[in-house]
Formats: sequence, structure tokens, C-alpha cells
Amino acid sequence: MAAPATPAARDWEALARRARWRRTAGQSLLIAFLVAVSLPIILPYFWMFTISVSARTGGVESVVLWRASSVLVPAVVGFGILRIFTDDRRRLWAGAAAIAAAALLALLLLVGRDLHLQNYRFLWNPDIVEEIRGAATASIQFPSVWVAFRNSLALALTQTALVLFVSTLAGYYLSRFQFPGRGGFLQGLLVLHAFPAMTLIIPIFLLMYWSGLLDTLTGVVLVITTLELPFSIFIMKGFFDAVPWDIEMSAMTDGASRRQAFLRVVLPQVRVGMLAVGVFAFIKGWEEYVFVRTLLFDKQNWVMSLYIFWVSEDIMGVDYGIVAAVAVFYILPSFLLYIFCQKFLVQMSLGGIKG
Amino acid sequence: MARIELRKIRKQWGEVVAVEDLDLVIEDGEFVAILGPSGCGKSTTLFMLAGIYMPTAGELLFDGIPVNEVEAKDRNVGIVFQSYALYPHLDVRRNIMFPLKFKGVPKAEAARRAVEAARLVHVEELLDRMPSQLSGGQQQRVALARALVKEPQLLLLDEPLSNLDATLRLSMRTEIKRLQRHTGVTTVLVTHDQIEATTMADRIVCMRKGRIEQIGTPEDLYERPDSLFVASFIGAPPINLLPGEARDGRLAVGGTELELLGAAAGRVILGIRPEALRPGEGGLPATVLDVEPMGRETLFLLETPLGQLRALLSGATAPYGAGDRTAFTFDPEDSILFSESSERRLPDVHVRLPA
Repeated sequence: MAAPATPAARDWEALARRARWRRTAGQSLLIAFLVAVSLPIILPYFWMFTISVSARTGGVESVVLWRASSVLVPAVVGFGILRIFTDDRRRLWAGAAAIAAAALLALLLLVGRDLHLQNYRFLWNPDIVEEIRGAATASIQFPSVWVAFRNSLALALTQTALVLFVSTLAGYYLSRFQFPGRGGFLQGLLVLHAFPAMTLIIPIFLLMYWSGLLDTLTGVVLVITTLELPFSIFIMKGFFDAVPWDIEMSAMTDGASRRQAFLRVVLPQVRVGMLAVGVFAFIKGWEEYVFVRTLLFDKQNWVMSLYIFWVSEDIMGVDYGIVAAVAVFYILPSFLLYIFCQKFLVQMSLGGIKG
Repeated sequence: MARIELRKIRKQWGEVVAVEDLDLVIEDGEFVAILGPSGCGKSTTLFMLAGIYMPTAGELLFDGIPVNEVEAKDRNVGIVFQSYALYPHLDVRRNIMFPLKFKGVPKAEAARRAVEAARLVHVEELLDRMPSQLSGGQQQRVALARALVKEPQLLLLDEPLSNLDATLRLSMRTEIKRLQRHTGVTTVLVTHDQIEATTMADRIVCMRKGRIEQIGTPEDLYERPDSLFVASFIGAPPINLLPGEARDGRLAVGGTELELLGAAAGRVILGIRPEALRPGEGGLPATVLDVEPMGRETLFLLETPLGQLRALLSGATAPYGAGDRTAFTFDPEDSILFSESSERRLPDVHVRLPA
């Protein structure tokens, strides 16, 4: 039975204290939650990395992982605490450097002897399988990893360029022009995006076969571009919708033709969208597995995902060290891309969809 | 500079008629305001002048030359949008220089003219800022500079002040007027704000539902409104309108009769401006219902035999309080009569309070 407190009896100090406590508790809970959620995502990658630099033929030891974690986790936590208590940039950097140095030293002492780069030998020696087990097991001759890398890069970049070009123009047209069937077209884009592409795999295979594009990179590029386009067009349309008409009309009264207005005034406003669509298209092309597995056979056409598949698909047992090393090598480009473009990608998921 | 002529200009969107048979001549160097509520076709008219929309029918002449089919980019028209429509990715200097880029003006001269235009609107110290770093008033000035830098033959202002706060609006009003006089450019202002129109323009075109209701000087529209619509649209607080019946030289309004000066018969509407009413012995008996102090003036809501009337008296202190009984009178010339069926003004017809 709480009697309604009269204003005079209210303890403002206590109320403020409670609010403060609640804020702190809420924030801590949030951070704890985020850490807990991100752990299972980060851990496998970290493990993969440790395997790639420590595993020796024949076995995988988790000891290195635990030792490394026992150094890195306190280091990261330490850095977090440091950030909370220092606002000063220079002291923060100094502290971070100190922590990093200490962690590096500890790592060197704890796991330094277990580290080696042997697993990365595929980078300079294409005959990885033969070297391990002798020519007898070489039922598959491996191409150089650089062939696969070049193929993957070509696939991803061409596909990105195509997707960017088409989705930018289509998005602009859908956003700015009224034409019969526009609504149906937009709905169709969404349906196509939601449609499970895997179900198309046999028809696509036949299509490629009949058109003579089977086992060519061109064919795969076309297929992936087509599947990627609906979503990209939709995203780009959202970005164009957010560009006010006024600046376009203004450009035209300022003497620009429609094309000049598009290139000089509208396009710069959707740079972020193009970047986001481009990054996603690149990653999509880079990570593609199912279609390349289905449509490419020749070793010279292997892309990175096929390469890693065949490395792990050895009949005599898997060398996890090499698999992990290839995986690290495979991840690197998309990882770097993601790091550099992170800011814009977040913006897309927040800003692009509302159109 | 140009003399602009619109001959039976019409704009239709499918079945919807946005502008209907507009006839208007804007003299060289004149400042004309197009005034009307939203949806009256004033912005459509403006965009037709700019060349963004093409008229469905009729003829648009610049200095006697038909320009119907001349594209916006070739018309040399400066336009200031309500949103200012500055190019977000260009700094102020490049924004102002943008129109010159398409006229083949050499870079050095363009830069010089941009500085000149910036100086004209007092933004020369902002030349290196980005539009997002400017306040609303500054953006407005930059937009003006950009519109003026190409020495347009026609300057169009689309609700240029409606995004500014009250004080800025006042100063920008004077500023725009000064610029217009200084450059002598033919100017068309589109607004729904009667104060903007009456304070800035030489002539006002009052529009309603795609048609011109009246063209005239601000005094014309205020003192001799052609129609009921113009009478009620111009003037703040709005004009008092009272329905009545004219017969045998007398006008029956509410519960009383007034003496009719001039010939009228049938159902009419009597209009009296709140400013025309003043306290007077032997006038209409009135009971004060409400008092609204408005600074230097006071608005009274009165109950009279004619019906409820608003009266505006100068003076900050109210001579009456709510509930007071007094008498109000007006000059016969200040009374305006409209035919109820046609909603047009009955010229030279007035009413007088019976002696």
C-alpha cells in the first residue's frame, strides 16, 4: 500500500540516484549482451586463424587457442576499461600501445614456439598435396592458388561493375519516371529477391549448357549478376528517392541537361548507396559457392571457394592447417573491404530501405 | 531582363486541370507575386515559366519570342526553391559557380563573378563552407546568389521565405526587394503568404483553382477585391462577411436593415474589414464577446444586430473589456458588396447605417 507521495515528501536525491543507477545498469547489461552475442561469431574466426598459424600436419591442438585467448581477452577488456576512464587521446593511445606491447610479449612467451607459416606454403607452392602424401594420392592436380584468386577477383569485380551500372540506372529510372507497369515492376523485384535462387539451379544449368556458357566465368558472372540485381535495384531506388527533386530541377534551370544533372548533381548524392551496393555485390561474387560448384568444372576455372573445397576434400584425410590457412587467405579481401566500408554499409541498412 | 507574356496557358495532368487559360503580362523589370492557397496552380505556373513543365496549351513568350518548347537549361531563368536546393556535395563557391559552368564562362571569370554575387547577398565570407554548415537564412542567400550569378532574364522565387523564422523573414523580405531593384531583373514570386506578396511585389496575381481571380496592386486587392475569394484571402485578421438580402434600396442583414447606396437586388454578401470598424455614437449597438490584444492593436469580437463581427482597433490598451456594451460604426466607402451567386463584387455599391 504505497501512499501517493506529496511533492514535498519526495526525495529528489534518491530519485536521481535511482535514475543514475538504472542508466548504468542498463548500459552494462547492453554491453554484456553484445559481447555475449558477438563471442560465438568471433571465436570460430579466431580459432581458424590460430589453426592456420600453428597446426602441424596430422593434428589440431586447441592449446594454442586457449593460451592466446588467455592473453587477448584480458588485453581487450583492459583496453575497454582504459577507454571508459580516459578521454584524453594521447593517454589513450599510450595506454593502448602499452597493453598491445604487453600482450605481444605474453603471446610470444606462451605460444611463440608453436607458430609457423608452413600452412601458408600453398601461396608459393601449388603442389601441396603431392608434397604431403606423394604423387600417389594426386588424383586431383591442384592449380596455383593464384589462378583461383585471379578468377575470383575477376568474377567479383566484373559482377560488381555490372550490378553497379545496371542498378544505378534502373534505380534512377524507377525512382524518377512514371511508366506503365512501374508498380508491378517494383513488386516483381521484391518477389525475385525473396525467391530462393537455389530452386533455379537445374534450369540455369541447362540454360548455360544450351547457350554454351557452361564452364565459363562469363556464364557465372551473368547468373550471379542477375540474381543480385533485384535487391541492388531496390536499394538504389531507395537512395534516389531520398534525393530531392528540387536539386535536379535546379540543375536543369542552371543550364544542365538531364544527363548532366544526373551525373553532376544526383549521382554524388547517392555515392554512399553505390558504395554499399558495390561492396555487397563484390562480397557476393567473392563468396559464391553453389553456382560456381555447379557451373564450373575445369581446374583453370576454379575460384577461391572451389579451391578451398578441393583442399578440404582430400580422400586421405584433411589437413586442417592448410584448410585454415586457405580460409584466412580467402577471407582477407572481403574482410578488408568490410573494415574500410563498414560505416557506409551501416548507413545503407538504416537509410536505404525506407524508400 | 525580359517582358514575359502568358497567352491562354493551360496545364493538364491527364484529366486534372492544374492551370486553366492563364493570361498574364509581366513587364520588364517588374516584381510580380502569384498568390493563392496550396493547390491553386501557382507553382505549376512557376515551373512552366522555368521550363520544367511544358504547357499543355497556350503560348509563353519571352520578349515576344515563343519559348514553349525551349528547354529549362536554355531559358536563362534563375530559380530559388523553397528548399533552396543547394547542391549538397559542392561548397558555396562551387554552388554559385555551377550555372556558369554550362555557359562556357572561363573559370577565372566564373570565380570572380561568384565572389561578386556572394558579395551582393552578403555571403562572401561563407564561400568555402558546405551547404550543410549554413543556417537557413544563409542557404537562402546562397540560393539567391546562384540564381543571380548567371544574370537571368527572369528570376523565379518559389515560397522563398516559408522555411525561415519570423525575424529572418522580415529581413530577407527587404533584402530580396533591394536585390530586385538593384539588378532590375524581372521577378516572379510564388507564395501563399499574403504579407510576403503585398510587401514585396509591385503587382499581385491572385489565383484560385488554376484560374486568375484578380490582378492588381496590393492596394487594389485590399480595397477593391474583385471577388469574395480575394476579399477573404487578403487581409489579416480576415474580412467580416455577412449574408443579406437587397430589396428596395435596403439591405436586410441578420436582424436589422441597412441603407443601400447603389443598385443591387437579391442575395448579396456584405464585407467589412475589421480595420474599418470604429467606435461611434449612434452606430451599431455591440456587445464585446472577447478581447485579443495583438501588441499595437487589439482585436474585438462583437455581437451586433448584423451578426458577429471582428473589429481591429489601434492601441495596446483595450478601451473595452469582455461584456461591455458600446456602439460601432463604419464609413459607407469601406463596405463591399458581393453577389452571392457569382461571388463577384458589385462595383460602386455600398451600405450605410440607417440614421
